[in-house]
Amino acid sequence: MTAIELAGVSRWFGNVVAVNDVTMTIGPGVTGLLGPNGAGKTTLLSMMSGFLPPSSGTVTLDGAPVWRHPEAYRRIGLVPEAEAMYDGMTAWDFVYANAQLHLLPDPGAATKRALESVDMMGPRDRVVGTFSKGMKQRVKMATALVHQPDVLLLDEPFNGMDPRQRLHLLDLLQELGAAGTVVLFSSHILEEVEDVAGTIEVVVAGRQAASGDFRSIRRLMTERPHQYTISSSDNRSLAAAIISDGSADAVTITPSSLEVQASDFGRFVHALPRLALASKISLDEVTPADESLESVFSYLVSR
Amino acid sequence: MNIVVMRLTARSLLGNRRSWVLVALAALMWIVAGLTRWGSGASPSATAGLMTNFALGTLIPVMCLLIGTGVIAQEIEDGSIVYLLAKPLPRRVIALSKLAVGLGAALVFTVASVVIGTMISGDQDWRISIALGTSTALASLVYTAVFFAISILSRNPVIVGLIYALLWEGVLAGYIPGVKMVSVRQWALAPAEDLLAAHPAWNVVSDVGLVAAYVLLAITFVAAVYAAIQRLKTLSVRVSE
Amino acid sequence: MSSETAPGATTNGSVIHDIGFRHYEGARLGRGWAFRSLLVETIRGSFGIGRPAKVKAMPMVLLGFMTATAIIADAVTILTKADSPSMPYTQFAMNMWLLIAMFVAGRAPYAVSRDLRDGVLPLYLSRPLKRGDYVWAKLAGVSIATFLFIAVPLTLLLVGSLLAKLDAAHEIWTWSGSVLMAAVLAVLLSTLSLAVASFTKRRGFGVAAIMTLVVMAAAFAAIVVNVVNFKVSQAAGAYFSAFDPFALVDALGSSWLGVEPVVAERHPVGFLGGFVLTSVLVALVVLGITVLMRRFKKVGGV
Repeated sequence: MTAIELAGVSRWFGNVVAVNDVTMTIGPGVTGLLGPNGAGKTTLLSMMSGFLPPSSGTVTLDGAPVWRHPEAYRRIGLVPEAEAMYDGMTAWDFVYANAQLHLLPDPGAATKRALESVDMMGPRDRVVGTFSKGMKQRVKMATALVHQPDVLLLDEPFNGMDPRQRLHLLDLLQELGAAGTVVLFSSHILEEVEDVAGTIEVVVAGRQAASGDFRSIRRLMTERPHQYTISSSDNRSLAAAIISDGSADAVTITPSSLEVQASDFGRFVHALPRLALASKISLDEVTPADESLESVFSYLVSR
Repeated sequence: MNIVVMRLTARSLLGNRRSWVLVALAALMWIVAGLTRWGSGASPSATAGLMTNFALGTLIPVMCLLIGTGVIAQEIEDGSIVYLLAKPLPRRVIALSKLAVGLGAALVFTVASVVIGTMISGDQDWRISIALGTSTALASLVYTAVFFAISILSRNPVIVGLIYALLWEGVLAGYIPGVKMVSVRQWALAPAEDLLAAHPAWNVVSDVGLVAAYVLLAITFVAAVYAAIQRLKTLSVRVSE
Repeated sequence: MSSETAPGATTNGSVIHDIGFRHYEGARLGRGWAFRSLLVETIRGSFGIGRPAKVKAMPMVLLGFMTATAIIADAVTILTKADSPSMPYTQFAMNMWLLIAMFVAGRAPYAVSRDLRDGVLPLYLSRPLKRGDYVWAKLAGVSIATFLFIAVPLTLLLVGSLLAKLDAAHEIWTWSGSVLMAAVLAVLLSTLSLAVASFTKRRGFGVAAIMTLVVMAAAFAAIVVNVVNFKVSQAAGAYFSAFDPFALVDALGSSWLGVEPVVAERHPVGFLGGFVLTSVLVALVVLGITVLMRRFKKVGGV
């Protein structure tokens, strides 16, 4: 079984630790590398793709390191984040050149197959410099697939794609994963990962926050308590009412507002207007706490 | 050597505005040669002076800088070099293929500029063409290799390269005697001095002996190529400024 | 001001939630402020201030060379108790021409090529900033940065001369003349460099192109002047300084301020020459600005 193994990998740049003691195994199928911006996803991908050595720990593909071993690229396909390509060439020529550089025996057939799989046979004779961002991404995919690699690494592949292209790419990744390719892509958008990744690895601030099956992690996340900030005409009475109702876990009174923590937020959200009405309190402001991925992640990390 | 890398490199080196600048520089050389002919009445010593100073001192280093950086610096800066590096090709092969294209282009442009320039400016039995053509070829090979290495080693290859070529060789060499010994231009002039030994009036001199010059040229060339290859092996694709 | 809509409340099945977006009704600083900010940011960026250390390296190293030279010249003046500065102010900019050229050549593409490559011009222009404002801000920014690059070491030279107890009035007078010429030089170089840089999205190539232009212009001008001096006359030769921005400013300095030209073997430029060369200067600057405006008129986006 082909697999990328990271064992106790850390990477630092001077005083900044970008990746902090990460251990994971990426096997066949689609894995999503999830994390907010600046979490270290690109650093991890750079190490896995052999462009950065770990400061400590080991990164290996089936036991052999990728760093300073260009032969490994026979089996690895890389879709980099960098925008620039050889802009003056046509899509066909560019992918063909990549096929030749991979020392493939029949570059023409490989190019055709790669371009077909990303649905770029139509504009194949147009110059890359004239392409939209989504089309460029697809050409990048084609260059990564042209040698039918065992491992496919993608850095934020869905950036700039329209919904139709995204669906197409998702299907493609799923096919590859089902066929046994090790597919790893990075993203900071949960919904993208949802559709296609069997396993996810969550990275926050360089540390591994969660890993495993997507659905079970999702469940873990929904179990966390939600926070609300409320300001009303009479905070204290409202606090008392909420507490005696029992739909919230904790209520904190601050000089200007009410902070409520509720794990069963469905129940709380239904209860609140009812309580306010019953006590004749008017609600001025009800704000849910930051729902961003960052807060979710930081919650995961602190657990 | 890999043909595909060479083809891609040749394409990006010559396929855009850069080649216009190179042609313009060659044309500039010929215009200046023409002016010199007018000014000096086709005197060979004026030609020799022009080639030793203007050509070898300024034009050739600038051309080699444009070419030496042109074969690789842009791809490193915008990250597109990843398409060459993420392949089962030894980095040595990639580096040498690119350098070969650079050396070829440099030789063509520089030697053509100088030889045709000499013809325009006034020569005597092709003596200056041969002598300074040789110097030009040798200097171009070494300059191009050095600038190629600088492109991989530095973020600002053009400025670093110019600090070396113009500040070091042009200015400091005039003030500090020791510096003259460590100058590609002086080394390249040695064979010319030797070939034109019969015409001391033309004032083609070098501060370095012939054998020493060849040895130093070779060492510098090899060192530059070695440094370039080693650095390419560990290059991480960086995001530009 | 906002209330959480209970999930499920619908009229016809679709709901728009008020998630607390606040409209900004307060004071907005206007177009002038935007212009000023872009200007300041260009100047700061030229020296790498506010950017990571790697970016600071090149301009700071070059500035270091400039100040070191000034300090050494001062030391020589003071220690040898000379009657006049060891390096006259007018000579400083001309001697340091290569460093000044490198500074501008590095900073002009930085100011312009990145914006072209990343296609951010529509972002700039969807604000109160007008297209012309963008060009003027960049131009002024690079000019001021270059001016500072020359003027600060020049001022260090003045300090040294004053410390060496040379005639203060005379020194300050000559110093201010040099500062004026430094400003002219800065504007000329910046305009031409930005014009060249605006033609390419590639920063590295922009730097190379500008340096090539400056270096070859200097070398070319030197040869042309020599030849014309020889074949025609010294006075005629002086006109051909126009090919080299540094020599041009030097010649203008000799005409406006009555000092000797620094570049070797140049004839001081008289009134007529000064008039002609000043026109050339103005024409070059106007040309550069026009080119820049046209370039950014065409470049609308990606």
